[in-house]
Amino acid sequence: MGYVPVKGGTQAIDASIKRLTYERLKGQEILEIKTILSTMGSMVDQVMSESSLYSPELAALAIKQGEGSMEEAVFLMRAHRSTLPRHYYSETVEVETMLVERRISASFKDIPGGQLLGATYDYTHRLLDFGMMEENAEVNRKWLQDYRDSLSVIQSGQEVVYFPKVVDYLREEGLFETFEPDNAQPTDVTKQSLQFPTTRSARLQVMTRGQTGAVTSFGYASLRGYGEVHPTVGEVRVGKVPIYTAHPNKTDLDPEDQFYIGEIRITEVESFVPVTVKNTNNEDALEFEIGYGVCYGQNETKAIAMSILDQCLEHPNTEFPTHDEEFVLLHIDSVESTGFISHLKLPHYVTFQSKLDSIRQVKKEGTAVES
Amino acid sequence: MKRRRRTEILIQGDGRLAKEMATSVTNKYECREVTAPEQGMIMVKMRESAKNSLFYMGEVLITEAKVEISGEIGTGLIVGMDELRAEYLAIIDAAFKAQLPEMQDWELRLLEEERQINKAKAQQQAELFKTKVNFETMEV
Repeated sequence: MGYVPVKGGTQAIDASIKRLTYERLKGQEILEIKTILSTMGSMVDQVMSESSLYSPELAALAIKQGEGSMEEAVFLMRAHRSTLPRHYYSETVEVETMLVERRISASFKDIPGGQLLGATYDYTHRLLDFGMMEENAEVNRKWLQDYRDSLSVIQSGQEVVYFPKVVDYLREEGLFETFEPDNAQPTDVTKQSLQFPTTRSARLQVMTRGQTGAVTSFGYASLRGYGEVHPTVGEVRVGKVPIYTAHPNKTDLDPEDQFYIGEIRITEVESFVPVTVKNTNNEDALEFEIGYGVCYGQNETKAIAMSILDQCLEHPNTEFPTHDEEFVLLHIDSVESTGFISHLKLPHYVTFQSKLDSIRQVKKEGTAVES
Repeated sequence: MKRRRRTEILIQGDGRLAKEMATSVTNKYECREVTAPEQGMIMVKMRESAKNSLFYMGEVLITEAKVEISGEIGTGLIVGMDELRAEYLAIIDAAFKAQLPEMQDWELRLLEEERQINKAKAQQQAELFKTKVNFETMEV
């Protein structure tokens, strides 16, 4: 479809932008970036995840500027991302080195290393806390002090504990297939547009930056019968993983010479999916495959839904929309979907007029034939 | 001490040691700024555990600085927006590359800082272990 430019409205647009500022300022309250960082962690995580740029500070700024609109905040972050240089690629992140804050399994109650609830809403009463309407900084300080005092008596071990993966334990038992490390260069969807059929690496990259609601809805659709995957969660883990990189001009491959640059907080999920396969006697046998999900920050619903869709897309089937990679991958991107929907608000006068003219012409010809 | 372990200590620590080390270098040696601290990105490569393959997870905002000391260029890289620490890291990196004599004395300080970091991490983990749970299945 060709686009026809329109002009005009400069003064009205200026006035509209002023009005936008007025709407944000008229309450005469200022939301500090540090307040968003301290109290809106889930939102910050979602913005980082959907914009595919890990920076809590910039995400908080985008949330403030977008007045809490997720689509606006993600748009701002993606736009800012396009202005930044990217000189480095990390060494492969090894999730076994995660400093775990939370780790649960819905498949086994006694997982090696144990289950850690961490901080979660999962077991809270979903009742509005009216006390928060009159929150008092002094009371909060007192609560914090009491909580810290209660922790100070805890004796720590000498060493930090790293948790084994549940799936590794099952692989050792021979219950899951073991795959040799595949070091093939991944596709980068930010450098080349998607071509179908695509690669596993491209699928994972698109899904991890997918819109939380869209990824969740498509994952849910699979559970409801618009797909063939209904997994059991093997392990959900939330925590911080270290990031290392080698010097871009390095000739020395010594890992001890790499840069440690800090850590990022992620959620990782492995889902166990029963599949029927033919055994050596050509009989149907039950096996498990793994669906994989991961995203920036703590967003377990999205990571679980991603693990469902990962498994769906590993088994293409045009009978089910959630097993169709074009359908899933082209519709879960926040900027693509919200951008295309919202462009409908912009002037379409010429295209609509031409359709109107066609209908008028048809009606006129119909009237002429009748008479 | 090699760069990987050194940068782990200097970034995971509270920043005072990095500042002290960098200042002691710049007080004595000429330090030329090659690249002023600037924001950029690093693309994160991950290995997924279903098929053991690699993919790109997304980008992480970093601050990068480069300096030259005694003919050696040092690079400072840190996640987030932290221009000062990036500059300190670049100075320390250049100092180690140039093998300045001052660096010999810092080994013990770095090891002590590492002990403190690990102790703090173990303490935080012990506190989190209060949320360790034993789910029991019930007879119906």
